[in-house]
This record gives sequence, C-alpha cells and structure tokens, in this order.
Amino acid sequence: MLKIDNLHVAVEGQEILKGLTLEVPAGEVHAIMGPNGSGKSTLAHVLAGRPGYEVVSGTVTFQGRDLLSLPPEQRAREGMFLGFQYPVEIPGVNNVYLLKAAVNAARKHRGLPEVDAFEFLTLVREKMHLMRMDESMLSRGVNEGFSGGEKKRNEVLQMLVLEPRLAVLDETDSGLDIDALKVVANGVNTLRAPERSLVLVTHYQRLLDYIVPDRVHVLVKGRIVQSGDKTLALELERRGYDWLIGEPESPGRRAAGHDGRAASAIEGARLAGRPS
Amino acid sequence: MSAALLARLKDEYGAVRGALPDSVVGGARRREAIETLCAQGLPATREENWRYANLRVLERARFAPCPCAAQVADLPAPLEGFPRLVFVDGVLAAGEPVQHAGLEVHSLRSGAQGADSSSAQRIAALPEARLALLNEAFATDGAALRVRREAGAARIELLFVACAPAQTGASYPRVHLSIEAGARLTLVERHLSAGDEASLVNGALRVDLAEGACLEHYRLQQTSARAAWFDTAEATLAKDARYSLIALSAGALAAHSTVHIRLAGPGAEIALCAAAIGDRQQSQDTYVLSEHMAPRTRTEQIFRGIASGRARVAFNGKIAVRENARGTDSRQSLRGLLAGPEAEIDLRPQLEIYTDEVRCSHGATAGKLDENMLFYLLSRGLEPEVAQRLLKWAFLEDVVSRIELPELRRCIEHELAGRMSELASLKELLR
Ligand SMILES: Nc1ncnc2c1ncn2[C@@H]1O[C@H](COP(=O)(O)OP(=O)(O)OP(=O)(O)O)[C@@H](O)[C@H]1O
Ligand SMILES: [Mg+2]
Repeated sequence: MLKIDNLHVAVEGQEILKGLTLEVPAGEVHAIMGPNGSGKSTLAHVLAGRPGYEVVSGTVTFQGRDLLSLPPEQRAREGMFLGFQYPVEIPGVNNVYLLKAAVNAARKHRGLPEVDAFEFLTLVREKMHLMRMDESMLSRGVNEGFSGGEKKRNEVLQMLVLEPRLAVLDETDSGLDIDALKVVANGVNTLRAPERSLVLVTHYQRLLDYIVPDRVHVLVKGRIVQSGDKTLALELERRGYDWLIGEPESPGRRAAGHDGRAASAIEGARLAGRPS
Repeated sequence: MSAALLARLKDEYGAVRGALPDSVVGGARRREAIETLCAQGLPATREENWRYANLRVLERARFAPCPCAAQVADLPAPLEGFPRLVFVDGVLAAGEPVQHAGLEVHSLRSGAQGADSSSAQRIAALPEARLALLNEAFATDGAALRVRREAGAARIELLFVACAPAQTGASYPRVHLSIEAGARLTLVERHLSAGDEASLVNGALRVDLAEGACLEHYRLQQTSARAAWFDTAEATLAKDARYSLIALSAGALAAHSTVHIRLAGPGAEIALCAAAIGDRQQSQDTYVLSEHMAPRTRTEQIFRGIASGRARVAFNGKIAVRENARGTDSRQSLRGLLAGPEAEIDLRPQLEIYTDEVRCSHGATAGKLDENMLFYLLSRGLEPEVAQRLLKWAFLEDVVSRIELPELRRCIEHELAGRMSELASLKELLR
C-alpha cells in the first residue's frame, strides 16, 4: 500500500526527515510514536502533499504509484487521507458541503456520478451518530468554533465518509476526553479492512489499547529508529524515548538544550540501547 | 487634472445648460456647482482619497448628459414586494410613481417634490465630494423619496441602468431620500449596464433620517467591465436614527464611491458593511467618513475587499469624533484579500478624536489566501481553482450574511458566483 524509502525532507533549508524508511502493507495498522519535533507531522504532511516541504531524496510509492509526483488533491482522490493534528477553521465554508464536494471529487475521479443528496445525508447522519456528534455541526462552517475534541471527531467523520485507502491520523487522540477517545477509536476500527491501511501518529499508548496496531515504529530525529509489534508501545510507555535517542547532538547544542545530568543520561542510554 | 479639461467642462455646460430641467436642479444652483467645481478643480490621483481612483476615464468622456436612451430589455426581475423605478442613463424609464400610505416616490423631473438647496452646500463642503457638484450641474432626472411613519415597513427598488457610451455623454443618477420621524424604509439600489459600453456614471445620493427613522439600504454596483462609476453619498442622521448600509461593488472598470455619514443627533447609529471585488484591471475605491457630531453615536464599519488579476481595491475608512460626541462607540474591521501577484489592496483605517470618553476599536489586515485553509481543502480532493474561489467567497461572508432579504441574498450570491466561478455547485459549498 505505502512504501517509503530513504526519504529526506527539508523545511526552510533545514533537514527534518533524514532517511526515513517505512512500509505499510494493505490491511495493516501501523502506529508511529516519537518525541516532540521528531518529524511525525512533517511525514504526514509530506504524504498529503503540503507545499513548503522539499523532498531532497528518497521515494514514496502508494498503491504502486509514485506518490510524490501527484498534487495533493489527486492524492486525496486516489484514497489518501490526512487527519490533521491541528484542523483549520474555515468560516463561511459549510461543513457538510465540503464533505459532499470531497466525496464527489473522489467519485468523479473514479468515473462515478455525483452522490445522491438524500443518500449522502443519510450516510453522514449515520456516521455522525457513530461519532456522537451533534447534527448542528453539519450546518456550521468547517471546524468553526469547534472545540479541540470536536475538531478531531470531525476529522474522523470525514474519514468515515470518504473511506480512504490509506489514512494517516496525526495525533487524532490528542485533546480527546476518555469517552471521546473510545468513540474515535471505535470509529477508526470500523474502517479496518483488508484493502485499507492506517497510520496512527500518537503519543499515547492508551489509543493503542483500543486500536491495536500490527506494527509500532519509533521516529526520532527524522528516522525510524525502532520498530516492533504492539508491545513496543508498552515498552515506550515504561521507558520513555531516551534509550532510543540516536546520534549525539553536537556539544554546543547539547549544552544549550539539556543540563549536564540529562545529557549524560542520554549518552548512556544511547550506548546501551541504540539499535544496530 | 488639466486646465484644458476644466475648460472643456465649462464649454460643455454652456452648450447644454438651456436644455437641463429646472425641476431637477435649478439653473442658479447648476451654475454655482460648475463654478465651485472649476474653482476646486476636478479630483486628481495625487489627492489622498483619489489615489486609487482611475480618473483618466474622465478625459475621454463627454461631461454633458447623454441623449435619452431607448427602453432597455432584459432587466433582472423585480424583487418580490418591492415597487420598482427604473432609470436608464439617469432618466426615469419605467415604473409608476408611488404614492400611498405614507410612501411617496417621484421622479425629480416630474417636479412633484421641489428640490431643496441645502444638500448642495453640504455635499460640496467636503473636498472628496466634488463629483457631486458635477452631478448637480448636469443631472437630468432622479428619484425623490419621502417616507412617513404611516408607511409601516416600506420598500422600494431603484434600478439604474447605464446604456450610452461615454463619448456620447455621461449619466447622472440622483436620489433624494427623506425618512420622517419614526418611519422605516428598505431600499434596494442597483446599478447595472445594458450591454458592455464604456459608460460614465456619476451618481449623487442624499439621505435624511429624522428622529428615530430607520433605513436599511442595499447598494449593488454591477455595471459593465468597461464602465466608469463614480458616486457621492451623503447621509444625515438625527437623534436615534439608524442606518444600515450594505454596499457591494463588483462591476465597472473604475469605481469610486465617497460616503459621508453625519451622526448629527444623539444615539444615531450607522452600520456600514461594504464589499468590493476587483479582477483584471479594475479599480474599486471607497472613501467613507463617519462623523460623530453628537453624544452616544455609534459606527460599525466592515469592509471586505478581494483583488485578483491586476486589480486595485482600496478602502479608506475615517471615523471623526467631534468635541461633544461623548460616549461614542465605533468599531471598524477592514480586511483585504490579495488573490494575485500583481493585485493591490490598500486599507486605511483613520481615527480622528476630539473628545474623551469614546470607545473606538479598529483593525485592518490585508493578506493572501490562507495557505492552511487552502491546503485543507486540497487535501480533501477539491480542485485548486474551486478551493480558491470557495475561500474568496467565504471571505465575503461577513458582509453577505448581513443581507436580510433572502431573495436579494440569493441574487447577490449568484452574482458573486458568476464573477468568481462558472461552477454552479460552488454555491452549495457555502452557507
Ligand atoms: N515550517 C517550518 N519551519 C521551520 N521548521 C519547521 C517547520 N515545520 C516543522 N519544522 C520543524 O521540524 C521539526 C519536526 O516538526 P514536526 O511537526 O514534524 O514534529 P512532530 O514529530 O509532529 O512533533 P509533535 O509531537 O510535537 O507534534 C520541528 O523541529 C519543527 O520545529
Ligand atoms: Mg506533530
């Protein structure tokens, strides 16, 4: 489904992804974890085609095609979905009509006629019910005035209606209360299917109690430094990331970023735990 | 602006003055207007409030009124429940005078309502309002409206159609509107073109709101892409009068509007929401002065402008608070959207305060389409073209949502959609 090979990506001249390799076969759910600023959202955005990210080298294939050569709207129509970490508010653009336009764009791409208005609304209502969303949100502007958690649910709602082939959910669990987390996880689980893949970016192992991943990867400083099964998430929960932190930072930057004790602890962890 | 132009103006006036109807503006006042205008000179782009106006069109135009046009076919349908008067090249062409239950609407030419001279002085007092003198000198007809309390919720539509090319003469739409104490009116004023001639339109509007009077006024400027459209509006509000002005300017090659609101009585209130969209070579320039002359007066000014192509869109919103206008409340929100690398937006909020105890807030921002919003829409599969148009339209939402007449709102949405997109489906994407 998705194959990323030795991907290097720079933002404003600074390399953020530094040789990232990852494969997500069809039907699998992969979780990506990693410290703040390690490049998780950068990866998600590059996959969705956001401008401003310079792919320095490497390849990404999606369903056998070169993903990076496609404009963002075409990626979406071919079944790529990004659930944003920070969904943007678009006042004046109606939530439900955006959804309909998105569905119709994908249908047109596949040579299908526009969706029937009544059937569409029925479907959206059903999915909203699943997401425990208030129907009044349909008539509001996209994410306009939504709470943090409501925005995340709205992202999942869009995903459920669009039924993508590959969904990358960037911290969709952050900012959700405990009940909402279950609702969202339940929604995501309904999408699990042999022909569909999911990539979950998360900081919390808790999400993975509800959406059990096939693989867990750890992204540190722009690279996957460790991969494993779901038990890796438990281990991370217990041990943190220190044992996985890669190359030492330059002495100057380290001095600026950490106090001496923390720096030596990282050093020690690196020696002990760095994967080959 | 050259002396030669003024000399031509005088000549043209001399040649036609005998034929200008006294009932619209008396001969003495016309002469006075020409003299004042010649003394002050025509507006020039080096003046602050004309900087973005395309005044070159005046050089190619004939100032004298164009010959009366034939009837125009293909007018938009009248709004339901609105009696309508149609003026073609400034002269009443269709629609019956209205006179019932406190609402009187006449053509100025009919002389049913004597013109009064106070307006001329007031308009001329403001240098930005000089083009009203040109209207004063040459006007051939116009609408006189008077509303009394018995009229209830009165409604009227005035449709001005520009037809003749500027070489054959200009048209001078003129409106005198007076709303008596406690009376209310909803006025829809539209300016269109029949065909695509490069017409010159120079309108003047005067509004008087007596104590507690209420005016809901929609102004739509949708003239042809080659037209030059100038306009001077002046309104005086007495105690507790309320004026809601929603203005949308989308047409013309060069559009310039001067609006002067005098909040003369305590508690008077103006809410002005304007939107301008410019594309290709268009210039859309608006100057609004809101003058607080009495205590507890309020101004709300909202402007949303979009410039695409090589268009220039400018809005200069000035709020002046005079000495005795304590307790004034003014809010201003000006926003511009730059939708082309060669487009220009100029927003100038200005505040002039001569007293304490006022609350004034203003904000002005001009920027490009929000990249985050754009990417969000693309990431959902929308065409870049559609996504951009959608965001442009959403940008105008603050103004369009104020239109309380559903039929008019639909009509405006249609107009905007037509200007921004061939896609009918775009409309569905908006609230
Ligand atoms: N537009 C940008 N300009 C400069 N630096 C950027 C830009 N976008 C991202 N970065 C930097 O790239 C690095 C990776 O950011 P990214 O958002 O991918 O991290 P993340 O792993 O998603 O972190 P978090 O867990 O906090 O969401 C950070 O150091 C960030 O500051
Ligand atoms: Mg992130």
